[in-house]
Amino acid sequence: MGQIILGVGDYGASNAPGDDIKTFALGSCVSVIFLDPKTRAVGMAHIALPDSSINKAKATEKPGYFADTAIPALLELMAKSGCDKRGKGMVVKLCGGANVMDTNDTFQIGKRNALAIKKILWSFGMGAIAEDLGGNFSRTVSISVSAGQVTLSSPGKPNWQL
Amino acid sequence: MVTQINQQELQKIVKAVPMLSPSASRLLQITANPDHDLVEVVNLVKTDANLTARVLKVINSAAFGMANQITSIDRAIAYLGERIIISIAIGDSAGKLFGKELSGYEAAGGDLWKHDLRAAIAAREVVAQSGLDISTELAFTAGLLHDIGKALISDYLQGSVTEAVALISQEEQPHDYLAAEKKLVGFDHTEAGYELAKAWQLPDELAEVIRYHHEPARANEEYRALVYAVHLGDNIAMMGGFGTGADSMRYKLDPGYVNYIKLSPNTLENIMLTVDMEFEKLEESFSDSGEKN
Ligand SMILES: [Fe+2]
Ligand SMILES: [Fe+2]
Repeated sequence: MGQIILGVGDYGASNAPGDDIKTFALGSCVSVIFLDPKTRAVGMAHIALPDSSINKAKATEKPGYFADTAIPALLELMAKSGCDKRGKGMVVKLCGGANVMDTNDTFQIGKRNALAIKKILWSFGMGAIAEDLGGNFSRTVSISVSAGQVTLSSPGKPNWQL
Repeated sequence: MVTQINQQELQKIVKAVPMLSPSASRLLQITANPDHDLVEVVNLVKTDANLTARVLKVINSAAFGMANQITSIDRAIAYLGERIIISIAIGDSAGKLFGKELSGYEAAGGDLWKHDLRAAIAAREVVAQSGLDISTELAFTAGLLHDIGKALISDYLQGSVTEAVALISQEEQPHDYLAAEKKLVGFDHTEAGYELAKAWQLPDELAEVIRYHHEPARANEEYRALVYAVHLGDNIAMMGGFGTGADSMRYKLDPGYVNYIKLSPNTLENIMLTVDMEFEKLEESFSDSGEKN
């Protein structure tokens, strides 16, 4: 029973009731959340960038950092607690991916992250049933394993559920 | 409670901030000069026993993984680079200000220093990876100092976060956080920071960055490229999840940077990755060596 805190590029999972999985201050990063109704396992990855081709060594050391390596890694981790290897039946939620107030595409990394993640999910035949993406504010997200409830917070706003 | 500040009160707030140490102040002067030599930095550090000891502690911290103990300050400075010497000098000399809990932004103690350090690393990388013809070390220093005004006005913004966010979210006249600060307390953090820059007698290019890092097009043309580099570094720090609480990501990015800085999406992603890796190393070396920020 405890709190699993994920930093940038970390991923983690738990099926222990009483655990929380939490990540702080998502800017352009996106948090991918998997909830498995069958095993009651919950997983999350804190993804920083869309594509691992820019630094393969980093992807090996921290697969959760890139969209294309994070999702297979998270699925593999959750398979250890009996979830389907290809994510069949998994409930998917996405949040984060904020962008600064900008009219220039280069800086829309939040958008590129979300797009890359969706593409990879499709390749597994998966899709998000809920998302809270974009905007120009940072988000902190936590999931309680027992309730499967995803709670978001941001300074100056009341907390909300996803 | 939110409290309006007038010009006179702002001067009082600035006066209450301790001066930088003479060596930190001198270090900023020396390194802002594009023609300076590293020897000048070395000679200055040697006159300050405290700073010398700190620099040696940092280089011998586990983060740098030196095979042998380094005892020569010349070698230490050559290895670390002047940006790390400046970080140590500023951390020692104004650590209280940089480490302050920014309750007016709902940011914890240490958040400002981390944001500044990330913006500094990012500004340096923007210059290095875009091939911009200005000093990478100066971009770092400017990044480190850019948001110092937040430490001055934070107390007066106490309890204002919900209102600030509401001002930004309104449809008719959307503010950025800067405009919200100005409306709530009468000054924004760049104006407050600029007053401190004057009191500290910072070199003009650093004062210009502090004043215009959210509106780089308004900066003196001579320093505009540097201001744009820090503008991007600041945004990169926020995108990476290191803001200072409520204001994170709530600023405008000036697309006019393209006239000064060439960045592809790929280069930007590389910069973000480098910032994460460099930051970890620097943080570790400062904390190993007993830096308190
Ligand atoms: Fe700022
Ligand atoms: Fe900033």
